[in-house]
Amino acid sequence: MTNDFCLPFKSQTLSFADVLCFLILQQIQLNDQQEEFNKLPTKAGSRPLSHSVSQSSADSFSSVGSVSSEDESAPQDKPQKTSDGLSDFCVKNIKQAAFGRKEIDIAQQGMPALMILRKRAGGEKPLAGAKVVGCTHITAQTAVLIETLAALGAQCRWAACNIFSTQNTVAAALAEGGISVFAWRGESEDDFWWCIDRCVGADSWEPNLILDDGGDLTHWIYKKYPSLFKKLKGIVEESVTGIYRLYQLSKAGKLCVPAMNVNDSVTKQKFDNLYSCKESVLDGLKRTTNIMFGGKQVVVCGYGEVGKGCCAALKGLGAIIYVTEVDPICALQACMDGLRVITLSEVIKHADMVITCTGNKNVVTREHFDRMRSGCVVCNMGHSNTEIDLACLRTTELKWQRVRTHVDHIVWPDGKRVILLAEGRLLNLSCSTVPSFVLSVTASTQALALIELYNAPAGRYKQDVYLLPKKMDEYVASLHLPMFDAHLTELTDEQAQYLGLSKHGPFKPNYYR
Amino acid sequence: MSDTAAEAKPEVKQASKEVKESENVAEKYSAMTVSKNSEINMGELSSVFSAVPTHKPVKKQIQFVEEKQEFSRFPTKTGRRSLSRSISQSSTDSYSSAASYTDSSDDETSPRDKAQVNSKGSSDFCVKNIKQAEFGRREIEIAEQDMSALISLRKRAQSEKPLAGAKIVGCTHITAQTAVLIETLVALGAQCRWTACNIYSTQNEVAAALAENGVAVFAWKGESEDDFWWCIDRCVNSEGWQPNMILDDGGDLTHWVYKKYPNVFKKIRGIVEESVTGVHRLYQLSKAGKLCVPAMNVNDSVTKQKFDNLYCCRESILDGLKRTTDIMFGGKQVVVCGYGEVGKGCSAALKALGAVVYVTEIDPICALQACMDGFRVVKLNEVIRLVDVIITCTGNKNVVTRDQLDRMKNGCIVCNMGHSNTEIDVASLRTPELTWERVRSQVDHVIWPDGKRVILLAEGRLLNLSCSTVPTFVLSITATTQALALIELYNAPEGRYKQDVYLLPKKMDEYVASLHLATFDAHLTELSDEQAKYLGLNKNGPFKPNYYRY
Repeated sequence: MTNDFCLPFKSQTLSFADVLCFLILQQIQLNDQQEEFNKLPTKAGSRPLSHSVSQSSADSFSSVGSVSSEDESAPQDKPQKTSDGLSDFCVKNIKQAAFGRKEIDIAQQGMPALMILRKRAGGEKPLAGAKVVGCTHITAQTAVLIETLAALGAQCRWAACNIFSTQNTVAAALAEGGISVFAWRGESEDDFWWCIDRCVGADSWEPNLILDDGGDLTHWIYKKYPSLFKKLKGIVEESVTGIYRLYQLSKAGKLCVPAMNVNDSVTKQKFDNLYSCKESVLDGLKRTTNIMFGGKQVVVCGYGEVGKGCCAALKGLGAIIYVTEVDPICALQACMDGLRVITLSEVIKHADMVITCTGNKNVVTREHFDRMRSGCVVCNMGHSNTEIDLACLRTTELKWQRVRTHVDHIVWPDGKRVILLAEGRLLNLSCSTVPSFVLSVTASTQALALIELYNAPAGRYKQDVYLLPKKMDEYVASLHLPMFDAHLTELTDEQAQYLGLSKHGPFKPNYYR
Repeated sequence: MSDTAAEAKPEVKQASKEVKESENVAEKYSAMTVSKNSEINMGELSSVFSAVPTHKPVKKQIQFVEEKQEFSRFPTKTGRRSLSRSISQSSTDSYSSAASYTDSSDDETSPRDKAQVNSKGSSDFCVKNIKQAEFGRREIEIAEQDMSALISLRKRAQSEKPLAGAKIVGCTHITAQTAVLIETLVALGAQCRWTACNIYSTQNEVAAALAENGVAVFAWKGESEDDFWWCIDRCVNSEGWQPNMILDDGGDLTHWVYKKYPNVFKKIRGIVEESVTGVHRLYQLSKAGKLCVPAMNVNDSVTKQKFDNLYCCRESILDGLKRTTDIMFGGKQVVVCGYGEVGKGCSAALKALGAVVYVTEIDPICALQACMDGFRVVKLNEVIRLVDVIITCTGNKNVVTRDQLDRMKNGCIVCNMGHSNTEIDVASLRTPELTWERVRSQVDHVIWPDGKRVILLAEGRLLNLSCSTVPTFVLSITATTQALALIELYNAPEGRYKQDVYLLPKKMDEYVASLHLATFDAHLTELSDEQAKYLGLNKNGPFKPNYYRY
């Protein structure tokens, strides 16, 4: 039970690889973290809605990275040098740098916001003197981020936050470009911590900023280098888990530096959940089942951002949608949006499709499964793999047939078939891709958070966890507008005065919904 | 920019405009209701606790200079001005017609001079004509049909009487809907004394019905300013009765008690305020350190905000345009200025009918949302020559200027869904070369020398209030929120609320929503114990953290 309980938080919306990774890590950390994790939902609150999509970008992009060279010797043991003669890095094979560079170039096309940021701030070097130690997935997209930070004046050292997600070619390209990267695909757990330690503990280099995804790096520095931790100018954390750990630290009075929660910025939230899921629910279902949506009866469990996105997309294709909700405010929103709010038991017999997006556990139970009609598609868009009670389907009378990748038919003794997608894991991550555009929003937010923390006058941020200032959030959005050829209207002086606003924002109060 | 010409038109013009508007009030008070509430009350903060507010436009000119300053600072404080209209304030507009049928009794004596007694022998009230009570009762019963949330609240809480001992003095519009609220409060154990927050909006027979039922009501349609304050004073100042709760809409009552009865004010358990203006006044008071009681801002509750803006405007934009112009929307090019809650509602409704929608925005976050929702984000100047309809919902001023009006195509419809009457620079159209033709009520053709016509709706005032009705369902949300806020403040343990302005607790907000689900036959799912534990939530809510963005 405890493991089962603890696991989902870490994995959140992570890919299967992440889950494996965590299984390993967990055993060590379990004792001191168990408590924290159990309490997570109350604190973090927004959990059902907040998955860091970019965390799992690895899943969709990893295929690109898996270049053949089946070199089995551990990268630690291989002395390697860049063409400039640097050796302060550790990657699988520095010779793959040219391939990685191509990947990065492609990613740059999809992330013009960061490129604009480089141009706009390039002259000023707002991160001059910043020493950023980072721990994220190492993919072409994060490489664009890292190189943007470098272009803005920062020195960067980087490790991977996941043992399976690194694109080796990209890591090589980064190393070749002069970034001290310590990461390769398929690290052991020992490797994982070794890499982090090499990142932090390099002689004669003391980081003053942390960019973290998952909180492992922060945890490591906090534990192993307390004096260094105290001197940090700030921490930027992307994942729900990491933020929860920061809040815990803050609550215990042990957070002695300011931290920025970029996960809950308006722009990132909307993109990770509403917009991303609106598209990926259709994509994921089409890729796996080739289903036609018109006239189909679909039950969407949960009407948060993810549920709203799914419903809007399905409605657009003519599906008949039912919503289940526990929160009366969201339920009322569903009503006003023209969706029937109902309990799952009431409609389960009629449903052609059940999509879970609650962040909860055991939303679809064996009892529901037994009453489904044959051919019903069941999938999860919400949280980890807890929403659908899979364990209950592993009984002897039910037969499982794997009909395609990520598609299982579960056959009842009477011949009824239920179609289960991605074994109840996240459909949007397993069977669909995360667009660079979404990752671009996250990366820009992270870059701006680092700039803000680094340049904030003393005293603006105390030893606490902060949300990104509204103005920065607005700036992230504005960086992405050119892609739509959207033309923002500017306030006249008179209008700005009338509204009591600065012409350049922030345009809304913090509590604006 | 093109706006510079418009910028030259200073405040003076605006002031005189308001005077003018108030002058033709006699013939259509409904317009006044709108202007009094949404323009004067909202925009004009003449009354910020330093001066007694006036209802006479003439005085407004004098105060204008000092108001102006606060006015311009207002948005920073309350922030969401562009989005926050207390729609129920203007409910009178839609329902007043119902009231007029009993107005035949052209009794010219002031209600103040008439001795009236209800059937139980009480004379502690002052209404136009107590004999109209029966008609009023009928109105109230009709309203009850659509306000099932309050009725179920009565049922659920009746045995507990959560307001037993509460002495509530209220100042709101007196309509059938508020009557349902007042009688709910009474059913929950409160004693109520009530007055009108608007001199024109009272439904006389509803007031009579309330009086007949034992509520001390002091209100009639067409009060003078003197009457207005007299009524408020009679409400507060009653022998052997001291209010311990205030329910206010606009802040006039709060102001009166604060100024005239400081001792009573100090002992108040709580203030519930509905309007933007009133909330702003409370924040001012709180900032000055003079607010010595807790106050609840019900205007900004999630549920109320969504209904007042997103849902209400989504429907009324179509209704208002259809009623006034009979336009067909399919394929029409529409530009919606502003993509806040109101703009989102308007855009969604128009898109659903097949209109081609453009959006203008100043806030990049909202602009990006518009992009992702499939709307072209443009500047007004870029599309002004193409569009068939222009809808403003910015909360800003002079969003549509004379320069832009000059460049519109023939037959372009211009209307305002946003804020007061500032968004369209209507003053710039009052020049000799342009001819104004009133073609219908609320519809003006403005004709250029070359024959081009621009169709201006409601003279640039709020379309949704002038040319459309507010559904009782929306008013029900507001009224329920108010009732729950009163219950919360009255029953809160000592120390939960200090001398400050509070938002409604999330849990109450959720409760308001849950009371309205029955209307939709919506079946809420309940968390199992196991699930609740997994999520770390209480099974009965609150379900979201305070910063959650719905």
